Amino acid sequence: MNPSNPPQAAEYGGDEVSAIVLDPGYSTTRAGFAGEDAPKSLIPTYYGKYNADGQEKYIYGDDIFVTPRPGLSTYNPIGKDGIVEDWDMAEKVWEYSFTSRLTGAKPGNPFQNGLNDIPAEELPTEMEVETEEKPLADSPLLMTEPGWNPAKAREKTIEIAMEKWGTPAFYLARNGVLAAFASGKASALVVDIGASNISITPVHDGMILKRGVQHSPLGGDYISSQIRALFKKNSPQPITITPHYLISSKTAVEAGQEPQARYKTFAADKAPDASYRALLEERTIGEFKECVVQVWPGPNKLSNNGPNGIPNEEAARASPGRPFEFPDGYNQIFGVDRFRVVESLFDAKAAIPDPDSPFPAPTPAQTLPELIKASLSGVDVDIRPHLLSNVVVTGASSLLYGFTDRLNQELMAQFPGPRVRISAPGNTAERRFGSWIGGSILASLGTFHQMWISKKEYEEHGANIVEKRCK
Amino acid sequence: MAAADVRDMLDLPAEGQPRPHKKHKVVEKRPEGITRELYALLGERAPPIAINENKYKGRPKWMNKLRVRPWRMTPFTNGARSDDLVLNHWQRKHESNRPPAPEGSQMDVDEKKETTEGEQEEAPKPLEQEYNFAKYNIKARLPQKYSDEVYNRHLQNNEWTREETDYLMELVHDYDLRWVVIADRYEYQPRVDSEADANALVPAKHYRTMEQMKARYYYIAATMLAMEHPPSEMSEAEFDLHEKMLKFDPDRERDRKELAALQLNRNAEEVHEEAMLLEELKRITSNEQNFITERRELYSRLEVPISVGNTTVYQSSQGLSQLLQTLLQADKSKKRRSILGPEGAVASPAGQTPTTANPHSRGETPSTNPAAANKKGSTASVPAAREAQPIRTLSAAEESRYGVQHHDRVTAGVQFRSDRAQKLTQAKSNVQTLKLAGALAELEIPVRLFMPTERVCKEFERLIQSVNLLLDARKVAEKVEGEIRVLEAAKAEREKKSQPDASGHPEVKTEAEDGTGVLQSTAADGDANAGQGDAETKEDRNHKRSASVLSGTSDKSSKRQRR
Repeated sequence: MNPSNPPQAAEYGGDEVSAIVLDPGYSTTRAGFAGEDAPKSLIPTYYGKYNADGQEKYIYGDDIFVTPRPGLSTYNPIGKDGIVEDWDMAEKVWEYSFTSRLTGAKPGNPFQNGLNDIPAEELPTEMEVETEEKPLADSPLLMTEPGWNPAKAREKTIEIAMEKWGTPAFYLARNGVLAAFASGKASALVVDIGASNISITPVHDGMILKRGVQHSPLGGDYISSQIRALFKKNSPQPITITPHYLISSKTAVEAGQEPQARYKTFAADKAPDASYRALLEERTIGEFKECVVQVWPGPNKLSNNGPNGIPNEEAARASPGRPFEFPDGYNQIFGVDRFRVVESLFDAKAAIPDPDSPFPAPTPAQTLPELIKASLSGVDVDIRPHLLSNVVVTGASSLLYGFTDRLNQELMAQFPGPRVRISAPGNTAERRFGSWIGGSILASLGTFHQMWISKKEYEEHGANIVEKRCK
Repeated sequence: MAAADVRDMLDLPAEGQPRPHKKHKVVEKRPEGITRELYALLGERAPPIAINENKYKGRPKWMNKLRVRPWRMTPFTNGARSDDLVLNHWQRKHESNRPPAPEGSQMDVDEKKETTEGEQEEAPKPLEQEYNFAKYNIKARLPQKYSDEVYNRHLQNNEWTREETDYLMELVHDYDLRWVVIADRYEYQPRVDSEADANALVPAKHYRTMEQMKARYYYIAATMLAMEHPPSEMSEAEFDLHEKMLKFDPDRERDRKELAALQLNRNAEEVHEEAMLLEELKRITSNEQNFITERRELYSRLEVPISVGNTTVYQSSQGLSQLLQTLLQADKSKKRRSILGPEGAVASPAGQTPTTANPHSRGETPSTNPAAANKKGSTASVPAAREAQPIRTLSAAEESRYGVQHHDRVTAGVQFRSDRAQKLTQAKSNVQTLKLAGALAELEIPVRLFMPTERVCKEFERLIQSVNLLLDARKVAEKVEGEIRVLEAAKAEREKKSQPDASGHPEVKTEAEDGTGVLQSTAADGDANAGQGDAETKEDRNHKRSASVLSGTSDKSSKRQRR
């Protein structure tokens, strides 16, 4: 292949117009140029707020994890159900996500950047006041939204994109549809295991079927709360998570022994807020999920007997445990408990009770198999077998070890007749950024460019146009 | 000699272990950048490290001499859009003001390049050229919009208001006839007209099923189509479409979907059962296929004319080997394995003539299970080897079902049951044979049985026996009748002698010799002289009966007399 020749456009139907794809999630916000295979900009959706010199300051992006500033508190502009609550801050976080890495800071006024300083007496009297350029003035923007986003939120989104960011063209796509596109399917049943929500989205010919969209709060944060409940009940001693920023030094200890570490202390007025600590604890829990937590692969629930009559718990106990070392040096081998923390995603009764948890105990209807069942019963019977043979698993929490095996087992047990086929990319990035990648594909297609809502159309019809065009 | 023969002789199973594959030596290619001598030192197994470094292969040298063709961000509009949104994409720069080609040795290279470039540049013409992807913007073909008048005249429906119909048509247009999506997004809120409705807090919501929507839409589409072209003027495709749309039956569609839902929600046992049944069905159909082919094979073999040539040719070893060769040739030319299996493919050199060379075809008789083939000891090996079933005892009913038989004494050699049956039809004398054939023809039974199963053969044997019996009986009866006639003639003679005044003496005598005429003539006599009348005829009959009884008892003696 001659690198100086472009691939023929007809070969892949691509035509890149340097569009930006913005995929805001509850935990992270992804942004990048369409046509690329991973988002260039990945920032936490949480932002930090603190007071300095009497005025409020905000921190966006990964910077919030770095410095425990006095009084630093963290917030999330998106509500627990995945719908934006604080629009002002959401706009700022999103704007940061693409200005920080993609569009770049616009060159400042050359008169003010210090390079062209001239003596004060020579300062020209009439200074041109540059009209402030909008951050997205030359890139079309494709944004994603959950399938249950209300019309008001959609209109607000296009308003921000058009008026605040000045994008020439805009489109709002459902993240379920995009995740299906990322797997190369126009019709699929998308199982999205996110941080705040798990959602089931039936997609038919690139359109979601609204009556089949189901979601429940048993996402990654719920699993974190289960892990905290487990730590509280831990058998030799309850485990408290001390984030890294509170550890000054540590020495290695035997498994199960008291940690020996020197802690940093902050004066009461210098200490960051509790929400900051919670956010950093969440990072440790995230590592715990990646290293230790495992989904019982089935068949049958963890509390039931396996196919050969042995209780599954026994089998789980027989498998070797996994060690984990906490930031303060405490380490322990986790046996069957590592299966228990996620079992409630499939079996509501298996939830570890914790009165302090912000999550109420899950109901059976919130578990994954029931959600899928409810979702399928909401769509036409003719397409159900097709959906079942195109189950797309996406979302970072679906990377839990053994998750797809278990999901497959549950679906096969529930629907023995039709063929069940799960398509879950093995590549971590493809799983985490499924909907972003789908958006990247979509926005770089030549045939898509007729779908954009242009600025002109927006001005003509108003924000309501998003309901008509982005179906 | 073929391997099959050796196996046959040594009583080895027909299919031995597959021959081990020949090891083909993998000759690893010497990677570049390592000398042959060094590579030889490495031995057979190269170390698991990559020796060749990944060199950056730049552009080929000749390409450096080409001019760089720049790309430029160019604005474009999309013809499929109603507004003229201008987006930018990278396009190869269109060069009109090309600098003159460099002189010298690169001239020919450049010329070639120019021609190819010229072709490429024909295609993209900036701006005035239509956008490449606009042609993919296609919409579903939908019926024309109906006017108020048309609606009122043709499309009125009690269940659908005009507003709802409009809403439906709009959705159909928006979603390009994707009914799944249309049914999903259908949210028609009837407008509140009257005060009473407006007072109700929650307007009565009624759901439309996909079938209702489809029925309504198809009705409208069919009507509009018929108004555009009357059915008599429609093209074939249009007419088909019209018919299909008119014949849409929502109830049936609903029933179908209910069935589909049932099918989808079966439990594991039902699914398992279905899988088993399907497997069984597959087995049965494949068996049937085998059955048919084997039966055809069998028939073709039965129809082979019986060899009449003498076998002396094959008695010498040379003749035998020649026969073997010809058979092998014939088998090869058939291009497929004979059904007899490997040992059948080669006619065993046991001195069998081709006419009896196929003893196993009987064993493959498809009319019974393979188990039935066990009935003949000589054929037992083929199915037994194939089936390798454990021996189990059968009940009497099963035995009859599978046709299992137990012989006290098995005759040597192989014979066809049909042959044996046919032998029965051959009587000792030719006349008798013909008679037998006649009787069978009268009963419409073919001489060669179509299906010579055990039971049929038995029945056939019984039939032939009884036919023989009846034929014997007939023969005897005829003989006795003849005797009766003779005796009656003698009696008549005697009566005539006792009545010398009887008229027509010579005629009666001739008639008496004729035999059959006797009774008639006597009857005529009886009629003629009414004086004797009935009494005499009765006496006659009695006489006859007694005679037959007599002859019945004495038939052996009469037979002897006749001989």
